Amino acid sequence: MKIFSVALGILAAIGGFVDIGDIVFNVAAGAMFGYDLLWVVVVGVGGIIVYSEMCGRVAAVSQKAVFDAVRERVGFGAGLVTLIGAELTTLLTLTAEIGGVAICLQLLSGFGYRWLVLVGVVALAVVVWVTPFEWIERIFGYGGLCLLVFALAAYELHPDWGAVANGFVPSIETNDTLVFLFFAVGLLGAAMTPYEVYFYSSGGVEEGWTPKDLGVNRANAIIGYSLGGILSVILMIVGGTLFLLHGIEPESLATVALGAEVPLGTIGLLVALVGILFAVSGAAIDTVFAGAYNISQFFGWEWGRYRSNAGAPRFTAAWIAMLLAACAIVLTGVDPVQLTEYAVIFSVVALPLTYLPILLVANDRAYMGSHANGPIANILGIGYFVVIMVVAVSAIPLLIATNVGQG
Amino acid sequence: MLSVVRRVRVGPAAVRARHERLASYRTALGRLIVVAAFLALAGCNGGTVDRHALTKDGEAIDSLACEGRLLAHDIAAGRSTSRFAEVHSGTLRQRASNFEDALSERPTVAVIERDVRALARKAARLASLLEQLHRQPDDRASARRIELGLGEAGDCP
Repeated sequence: MKIFSVALGILAAIGGFVDIGDIVFNVAAGAMFGYDLLWVVVVGVGGIIVYSEMCGRVAAVSQKAVFDAVRERVGFGAGLVTLIGAELTTLLTLTAEIGGVAICLQLLSGFGYRWLVLVGVVALAVVVWVTPFEWIERIFGYGGLCLLVFALAAYELHPDWGAVANGFVPSIETNDTLVFLFFAVGLLGAAMTPYEVYFYSSGGVEEGWTPKDLGVNRANAIIGYSLGGILSVILMIVGGTLFLLHGIEPESLATVALGAEVPLGTIGLLVALVGILFAVSGAAIDTVFAGAYNISQFFGWEWGRYRSNAGAPRFTAAWIAMLLAACAIVLTGVDPVQLTEYAVIFSVVALPLTYLPILLVANDRAYMGSHANGPIANILGIGYFVVIMVVAVSAIPLLIATNVGQG
Repeated sequence: MLSVVRRVRVGPAAVRARHERLASYRTALGRLIVVAAFLALAGCNGGTVDRHALTKDGEAIDSLACEGRLLAHDIAAGRSTSRFAEVHSGTLRQRASNFEDALSERPTVAVIERDVRALARKAARLASLLEQLHRQPDDRASARRIELGLGEAGDCP
């Protein structure tokens, strides 16, 4: 039964790993640099595994989610700054995901974009209001598995597998180093986006993890994120094989769907659109929850989906406010794909504020007892924190210097 | 001991030093604002199309043509849905129109003006072809003709 539960969790994690940031950055990176940035995906997936395992362990042992730890470890002032940064980047990400939902619905139905934004937001609100937590995770995770159609598409496009293998060897061979670095930063940010750890650790607390569940936590983090990362790799291969060859710079989700249509026809297109729809809808729900979790944990409100909506009124008000704010921003007509690029880059800036408290708490024996970080977890955690710092410092200058990756 | 240090620091020399330090901060801040404004203007390029912008816009317009050609090819082969074809060709057409408007109107340096206006005409032609695709997303014969037109208009590999 436990193996079955782990398997379900892993399946959901595969389908739920990819969000609009991963889709946009992986396909665009492939279209611009072929397979040369595949190694960055591996680095990013390694980072999210290390820190998700760590925050899941903290949740299981201490029953504290990320923003409980932030408040306790860095104090109210610095914690408030972290909270504001986290909420702004989460809101930006949520806005981009809702825009993505509306675009997918439009490509499937042909109806007007703005109406579909409203339809999408109402549908998401209803799902969040009435659906139990574990079913939300599973429905959208399994629906997101439709994205595996891109694996078939990549196979049918006949990439040079030798070149693909070379892409996993770290190198920077390009005429446009700054744009290359911008995409590398974007890919790392998309893989290690902060809302994922907010959601993951809060979910662990919600599901009542105890130290007995540390094995499940480790399996979910390592296997789920690794397999989910394969989807990112597949998207980059499609970008590098189809769009680079045809001189196309992908600037919309429709272009990504074209990556399945060209090799697989109508069926490929429809499955891809459904997969993207589920992936971005699931990510939208994750970000809504992440925003509400953060603020509730920081201010010590009742929170959690295992309570009724009335049982945690300020938590409920927080996710409704997040959803309405994102809806209002999308309705201004902002381009969700461009917004995604900004959301990912600004998330990168917030990464150290999110990951440092996790690292500190996971090392604190007063909290963690015998489950505190061992030498391997610390080497990986500190190593990745150095990477995060470098990436966070360089993100905005690269954004400006490359004109958002345009060169 | 601490009070002595404080007294020394608030003497006339210390006040003068503080004013000088503040003045130097203000100068540095002023320079920073000028540099930031310069960078912002450089980034926006003051609305003028230079060679770099011309090259980048040219690449983006070719990308639209190539993507439109791929879409038209799939429509001609019956491998797309009419909804997807209609919506996506409409999006591509809108982008081509935006380029047409911008390149027709934006000021440019004299030596490349002819190239800029030629690129505007190319964008207009693309927009027209994509508009046809948008209006007839089910018409496979038209899609075949439009595919050829987009291939000729854009510099597709």
